[in-house]
Amino acid sequence: MSTFSFLEATVWHCAGCNQPLQPAKMQVTYLNSAFDVELMACPSCGFTLVPESLAVGKMLEVEQLLEDK
Amino acid sequence: MDQPQLRSLEARCIQEEQPFCTAACPIHVDVRAFMTALAKGDVREARKILDRTMPFPDILGRICDQPCRPHCKRGEIGDPLAIGRLEQFCVHATQTVVKLPKLPAKGGKVAVLGAGLSGMTAALDLSRKGRPTILITGSPAIGGSLHQMALSILPKEVFVQAEATLTGYGVAIQTCTTLDRQVVASLLDEYDAVYCDWDDFDASLLPFALGTPDPLTLALERDGCFGGGGVGTSQPFSVMHQVENGRRAALSVERHLQQVSLTAQREKEGACTTRMYTVTKDFAPAAEMLPNNAETGYTFDEAQQEACRCIRCECMECVKQCVYLQEYKEYPKTLVRKIYNNQAIVQGTRNANKMITACSLCNQCTVICPHDFPVAEVCRSTRVEMVETGHMPPSPHDFALEDMQFSLGEFCALSRHQPGSDSSTYLFYPGCQLAGSAPESVKQTYGFLTAQLQGGVGLMLGCCGIPAHWAGRTTLFAETMAAFKAEVHRLGQPTVITACSSCLSMFKKFAPELTTTSLWEVLDTLPLPQGHSRPEKPLALHDPCTAREQQDLRASVRSLCTKLGIEVVEHDYSGELADCCGYGGLMQFANKGLGKKAVQHKASRSGLDGLAYCAMCRDNLAAQGRPVAHLLEYLFAASDQDPLARSNPGSSQRHENRARLKSDLLADLWQGDAIARPAHTAIRLQISQELEDLLNSRLILAEDMQKVIHHAEQTGRYLINPANKRRLAKYRPVRVTYWVEYEPTEQGYLVCNGYSHRMQLPEDSK
Repeated sequence: MSTFSFLEATVWHCAGCNQPLQPAKMQVTYLNSAFDVELMACPSCGFTLVPESLAVGKMLEVEQLLEDK
Repeated sequence: MDQPQLRSLEARCIQEEQPFCTAACPIHVDVRAFMTALAKGDVREARKILDRTMPFPDILGRICDQPCRPHCKRGEIGDPLAIGRLEQFCVHATQTVVKLPKLPAKGGKVAVLGAGLSGMTAALDLSRKGRPTILITGSPAIGGSLHQMALSILPKEVFVQAEATLTGYGVAIQTCTTLDRQVVASLLDEYDAVYCDWDDFDASLLPFALGTPDPLTLALERDGCFGGGGVGTSQPFSVMHQVENGRRAALSVERHLQQVSLTAQREKEGACTTRMYTVTKDFAPAAEMLPNNAETGYTFDEAQQEACRCIRCECMECVKQCVYLQEYKEYPKTLVRKIYNNQAIVQGTRNANKMITACSLCNQCTVICPHDFPVAEVCRSTRVEMVETGHMPPSPHDFALEDMQFSLGEFCALSRHQPGSDSSTYLFYPGCQLAGSAPESVKQTYGFLTAQLQGGVGLMLGCCGIPAHWAGRTTLFAETMAAFKAEVHRLGQPTVITACSSCLSMFKKFAPELTTTSLWEVLDTLPLPQGHSRPEKPLALHDPCTAREQQDLRASVRSLCTKLGIEVVEHDYSGELADCCGYGGLMQFANKGLGKKAVQHKASRSGLDGLAYCAMCRDNLAAQGRPVAHLLEYLFAASDQDPLARSNPGSSQRHENRARLKSDLLADLWQGDAIARPAHTAIRLQISQELEDLLNSRLILAEDMQKVIHHAEQTGRYLINPANKRRLAKYRPVRVTYWVEYEPTEQGYLVCNGYSHRMQLPEDSK
C-alpha cells in the first residue's frame, strides 16, 4: 500500500514535550479502511497534527467516499 | 424494495407518459420533439422525427388531417398549434433524412389487395419486417383515393417517390391487375396472409361473408385475412386513420405469421388516452401564427414562431416546487429507479446515498402529485433498510441524533406534575426545538396554561424522537416513543398539549392511544394572555411542513392571529402545500447547501416579513436574515424585544437554552436543586460572530470546544505556537475529533478556530 504524504512545515510545537513536530509515518482508519500516511507529529509523545486544510479538504473527501462504499 | 414494488411505484409517476398530441395521433408521431426541433430552427431534425414514424412523410406531411389538434393543450391558452401546416412546411423544406432499416428476410408470403394509403402502409411495414410482400391493385397506379386530391396539394412526384420507397424495401407492386372472385380466391389460397384495403379493393370479391372486422386486429372471418382502411366507414374519412389501419394490419399479419397472440398488449396502438398531466396556467396565452401567404404556407420564420408556441407538455408539477428534486435533477420515476439501483449494489460505490439521506420527507410532492407518488416514504423506508444492512453513512445523521440524545438526557429532560399538585389533567410538551430556540416562551406559555386550565398541568421537556424516525433508526425511535408513553402513563394519562407540529404528527401516528392536541387549539379556546402584542405590518404566515395534515391546528393558528389583530397574508404555498424549511428529514445535515436552498425557497414565497409557529422554521428563516417572528412572541410579548428582530440562536445556544430551561424551571417552580453539569461546561469561551457562524456550519458546538480545552488544560497535551502563544488542541469524545485553536485570556479562552474530522489517528484508539 502506498503512503500518502501530508507533510508541511508547521509553526506548532508540542507543548508537553517542548519539541518541534517531525514527519511521522502512521496508519489512519475510517469505517474498516486504513491508509498509510505521513503527518507531522511530536517525536516524543506522538501527538499528531491534522491541519485544518487537511481536515476540511482531502480527509473529508475520503471520509465521504468511504461512507458510500 | 423489490422489482414488483419498483414497477408499481414507477407506474405512478406520469412524467414519461405520452403528451396529449402524441397519444391522440393514430400513429403516435412525437409532435413535442418535432415542435422542439422546429422552435430551434432545426428543420432537418424535425424531418427526422417525421421519417421515424410516418410511412410516407412526403404524402402524409402534406395531407395529415391532424386529429391531434383538438387535444393540443395550447388550446387552453390561445389556439392549438397548427401542426398540419408545420408538417407541410417541414416536408416542403426537406428531403428524407432517416431511412429506417430493413430486417433480414423471413418466410411467410403476404399479399396486400388494394393500394390505397392503408395498403401501401401495410406493404411497407411488412416489407421492412422482412416479410416478402406483394401489393396488388386493379388500378393503374398506387394511391387509391389519394389521387382525388388536387395536384397543388399532392403533386405527381410524391406517388413516384412512394413507389420507389416501396420497391426499395422489396415490395413487389402489381398494378392494372384483373381481380375477380376466382383470382381473389386463388390469391387467398396462395398467400400465408392477406390484407384488403377497402379504399382500393372491392370487398364483394371475397369468397366469404365479410362480417365486421375485429376492431383491435382488423381480422376478417377467414384465418389470415385482414381488412381496413376504407373511406366508407362510419368515421369521417381520415388519412391518418387509413395509415393507422395499415400499420395495425401489418402487426396483425406479423403476429399471425409468428403464430402468437393477435390481441395481447395492443391497448396503446392507435389513438389512445394518456395519463399525462400538464398545468397551463403559468403560460401566457398566444394566438396561432397565420402564414402571410396562405397558399405557399409558412416561411421559415413563421414556422419557427408557431413552433415556439408549443408548451412541451409534461407534468413535473412536483419538481417545479421541490428544491430536492431539482437539486438531484430527478423526477419521482427516475428517482425511485436510482434508489433501487443504489440498494442493489453489493460491492462498489453507492452513489445515491446522499440523495436518499437529503430528502426532507415533507410530502409536499405527494400532495401535488396527481397520483400521490410517495417520495418521502420511499426515501425513509430506504433509510431504514440502509441502517438495517449497515449501509447508512454515519455523517448525515450523527449530529442530529446526538442533539436528540442531549434533549432526552439528564440535563434537559424533565417530567413533572404542576407544582403543588400530584396529578395532571394536561401535560404541556413544548418540544425540543422550542425549548432550544425560545426558552422564555416555554416558561410564559407554561405559566399561562397552569393559570387557565383546571386539574393540573404537568410539564415534560424532551424529544419526540422524530430525528431517529427520519434517520431510519427504527429501534431508537421505538425506544424513545415507548419511554414517552410510559412517562405519560406514569403521570396518569393526561391530555398532551404540544407546541410542535412535528411532535404532534409523531404522537398522532405512533401513540394514537394517547389524547394529544396542539397548543394552538388549546390557546384558541382560552382568553388572550395579558400583555399580548401585534406587529405593525402585515405578516406572511409560514406553515410548517409537518402541519400539512393538521387542518384544525392551522385553523386555530389563524384564529389566534385574528384575535391578536395580526394581519396575516397567505401565500400560495401554505397549508397543505407548505414548503419545508430544510430541517425536515434532517436535510440540512445530510446536504448543507440544499438545506439552505430549501429555506431560501420557503422564504421567497413572500416578500413580506414572516410569522411562523414552528421553532425550526422560525430559526431557519431568521438564519437567512429574514425578519420572522414566532407566534408565541406576540401572545406573550416582551416589551424590550421586537419578535421580528430575534436572530437564529444556532446549535450551541440551542443546547445551552435547553439545559438552562430545565435548571431554571427546577429552581423557580419546583424549588429543586440545579443539576451539576460536567466540569468542562464551566469553561468560558469568547467567539466572534463570524467564527460562530463558521462553527455552526461545521456542526461544532460550544460544548465540544469546552471539552477540547478542558482536556488540553487538564492533561497539558496541546500544541503551541511559540510566536504568538496560541494553543491548538484536540479531543475525540466519541466518533469525531474536534480541534480548537485558542488562547487563554483573563475571562476564559478566546477561540480562534475550530474544525473536525472523523478519520481516526493511531493515538485516538489508545
